[in-house]
Amino acid sequence: MKKFNIAITGLGGQGIITAGTILKNAVLDSAMQDVSGSERRGGAQREGYVEAFVKYIFYDSIAELQNPRKNMHSPMIASGDADVLISLEPLETLRAASYVNKNSVIIFNTNPHIPISVRMGKNKYPELDDILESLHGITENVFYYDFNKLSIENFGSIISCNVISLGVLFAKTNIPVSKNVIENILLKGSKAKDNLRAFDIGLNL
Amino acid sequence: MANLFVDGKYGDRGIILGNEAIARGALEAGIGYASMYPGTPASEIIIALDKNKKNIKNIYTEFSLNEHISLHGAIGASWSGIRSLCAMKNVGLNVASEPAHFLAYTGVKAGLVLAIGSDPGAPSSSNEQDDRWYSLHTYMPIIEPSNIQEAKDFTKKAFDISEQFSFGIILMAPSRLCHNAGILHFGDCLDRDLISGNFKRDPENYLNLFNLAVKNHKKYLERSELLKQYAYNSELNMIIDAQISSTKNSRIGFISSGVIYSHLIEALNFINADYYKILKLGITFPLSEKLIGEFLDNLDEVVIVEEAEGFLEFQIKKIAFEIGYHGKIHGKNIFKAYGELTIDDVIKGVSGFLGKAAPEHFTAAVNKSEILSAQIPQRMGTFCVGCPHRGTIYSILKASGYSNTDSKDRDVIIAGDIGCYTLGLLPPYNAMDWLTCMNSGLSIGQAISIADKSKKIIALVGDSTFYHSGIPVLMNAIQNNSDILYIILDNSWTAMTGHQKTPSTKTDIDGTPVPHSVNLKDLLKSLGVSYIKTVDPNSVKRFSVIIKEALKEKGLKVIIAKRECILQEERRKKIKNLKSKLENSSEIIYELQKERCVKCNECFVELACPAIQSVKENGINNGKEYYFIDPVSCVKCGVCYEVCPNSAIRKVEFNLNPSIDLKSQMHFLNNK
Ligand code: SF4
Ligand code: SF4
Repeated sequence: MKKFNIAITGLGGQGIITAGTILKNAVLDSAMQDVSGSERRGGAQREGYVEAFVKYIFYDSIAELQNPRKNMHSPMIASGDADVLISLEPLETLRAASYVNKNSVIIFNTNPHIPISVRMGKNKYPELDDILESLHGITENVFYYDFNKLSIENFGSIISCNVISLGVLFAKTNIPVSKNVIENILLKGSKAKDNLRAFDIGLNL
Repeated sequence: MANLFVDGKYGDRGIILGNEAIARGALEAGIGYASMYPGTPASEIIIALDKNKKNIKNIYTEFSLNEHISLHGAIGASWSGIRSLCAMKNVGLNVASEPAHFLAYTGVKAGLVLAIGSDPGAPSSSNEQDDRWYSLHTYMPIIEPSNIQEAKDFTKKAFDISEQFSFGIILMAPSRLCHNAGILHFGDCLDRDLISGNFKRDPENYLNLFNLAVKNHKKYLERSELLKQYAYNSELNMIIDAQISSTKNSRIGFISSGVIYSHLIEALNFINADYYKILKLGITFPLSEKLIGEFLDNLDEVVIVEEAEGFLEFQIKKIAFEIGYHGKIHGKNIFKAYGELTIDDVIKGVSGFLGKAAPEHFTAAVNKSEILSAQIPQRMGTFCVGCPHRGTIYSILKASGYSNTDSKDRDVIIAGDIGCYTLGLLPPYNAMDWLTCMNSGLSIGQAISIADKSKKIIALVGDSTFYHSGIPVLMNAIQNNSDILYIILDNSWTAMTGHQKTPSTKTDIDGTPVPHSVNLKDLLKSLGVSYIKTVDPNSVKRFSVIIKEALKEKGLKVIIAKRECILQEERRKKIKNLKSKLENSSEIIYELQKERCVKCNECFVELACPAIQSVKENGINNGKEYYFIDPVSCVKCGVCYEVCPNSAIRKVEFNLNPSIDLKSQMHFLNNK
């Protein structure tokens, strides 16, 4: 059995859940594949922490697929067990850093969203350099971009940050899914043209 | 996905949410009635059916006013021969506990399944109660699926079990299952043409008084015994035999259920120990003594892996005592009884018990995150940009003088309640003094108004919560002439759970009028409230004056803070724009002029609209910090413009030229 775990984190309204669902749909091509992964939805409120887990499972044999000791998968990712962490907010990258290990890839959005406690002057928002230093203390594979800026420049709103980040996922990691599969999923969804372009922007970063 | 949800057949596969899988199971079982009072994490169960109802023959869906009504509705349908699904969140069963306690007495006719979304860790609830304990006295059997496939299959099966033993069946789904998304292999649906109701009198079962109740009590205890025999043979329970002989490891076993079982399987693989004897319980109440006895038989030690207080452990220890088992039973001595039991908790617990180390990359990450987490500021939710509740909370704090303090000595008491406005209890507002269950605000408040006459009391309630069970509370307050200011935050929707209608929703999102909508003000008048004022919560200055005035009056005062939820308003605008292509219209933007801003923090901290942000000059770390309005997220509600005491926020009105592409003009304005 091979596994590939992706944790996607950020804030409500950033399209975290949608990004997870797009990735999950990629397993429907083969009967030997499976996927698990829960979502944490921050209620209806916009500022809450949101995460989606995508755990790909590739069975070696039918016997393995039918083995109850092998075919049941937790919806959560254990500490250090994510192959990739995608985060659409710098501080949340730090918070989710417990999911990654020294071989993992971290992809994150540098556009900060200041929590209330920082507004109130009770806490300090860490500088980007400090965040990077902490992340580099875990893994060398850290990629970061201002996804907000890219999305606004190209699409007039921050709506495409999530799909751009998926493009980066395919450019910078050894995710065992073909990018054509994702492009086909985007093609069938709503706003296909924008999404394909956003994916492409990410692929070329 | 929507189409597959309705039309999927045996052989189809799709990615589906746990909640949708439960709904699909019910659909395959041929339900004709589905009801709920919405509540996270269970809401999508009925939403999935409701939004597809046009394409499903013979289905009735209802977002009932509360869980008590909702479960009663499902019972009525069942007695009429229609299979019914009722869903609610964990705390909903407190409200529905009355019908739940009668269901075993009366029994069901067509299958009835009550799907409960539990919320360990309470990310969206005011407690993390484990509803399974109710079954010790309601006798409702409990079924616990572990993954998406089982969510569908077990729900479907539950309807058969319900009919066979005449019990309403509880399907337990924690948020990690409700909001898990994975592959579902679809099955076929029962013929929907066959669904039709026919209520027949059954006085022996449906009438419960004196000895009739006693008779029915005896009957359901007997049915429960029969169900235990069923549980012994049921494929919903499964024993996985040990894969090692000799050694003491073959004499250790694990018992688990639901999502925690999936954690257990993964944890055992994680530490390379996937050879122990395991009992997977799909039916967690009632337990078959025979099954438990056989599982324990050749074991010296068992570990029960479960969340919360240990419902399985409680039952299994009782059985072990009765059968004279002499081995050791572990459970809550290893796993905590509060908070969510995460995959990490299970890995740590199991590896600790077995004395087998977890992989290095796990322990390294655990240690690292302990160091890191100390430096990460907490992030808590807040109101959406433009949310009318922000205006209400801000106005209350201004009127009472408790802005930006968390002092314990306040002489205006603010009672919270359940809904989006609950977020007002968080910083920077700290605007609530208690939060427990639905309508606890006014209920507790009216007693405090008697017990402590030295303070003023403001009680908050949302429209949906008010209609849920607030009317009797209000009538009680009227009858006793409580000295309270009651503010009803009427945003026209049950917003927190995905915008279901409330009784006073006047127009649907697509603009169609809702029939029989209640006029809240008339309702209040007819209940006997004489002091009623209606305000726009975004007119914060006016609102706080009105609150101040109301607080001076004696007796019961009601203010309706009326403004539609901003998310719905925005959606409505979008739909309208699509329809009418926009003619000559003017556009307003708000601009924070940094030269005039003295950073008094009125808008940035006290109002705390997330669209008002701070940035360092020229992006330099130690550059001068200034505030600005992020044009992409600002919804132009104008509240900041009203609160700025220094006229630093400017309102700019533009007339858009209809002959030029609108999008590019807006883009230009927003980025100018
Ligand atoms: S107008 Fe002001 S308060 Fe309203 S959304 Fe925009 S920035 Fe926030
Ligand atoms: S209220 Fe006015 S002066 Fe005060 S921080 Fe906001 S913009 Fe600046």
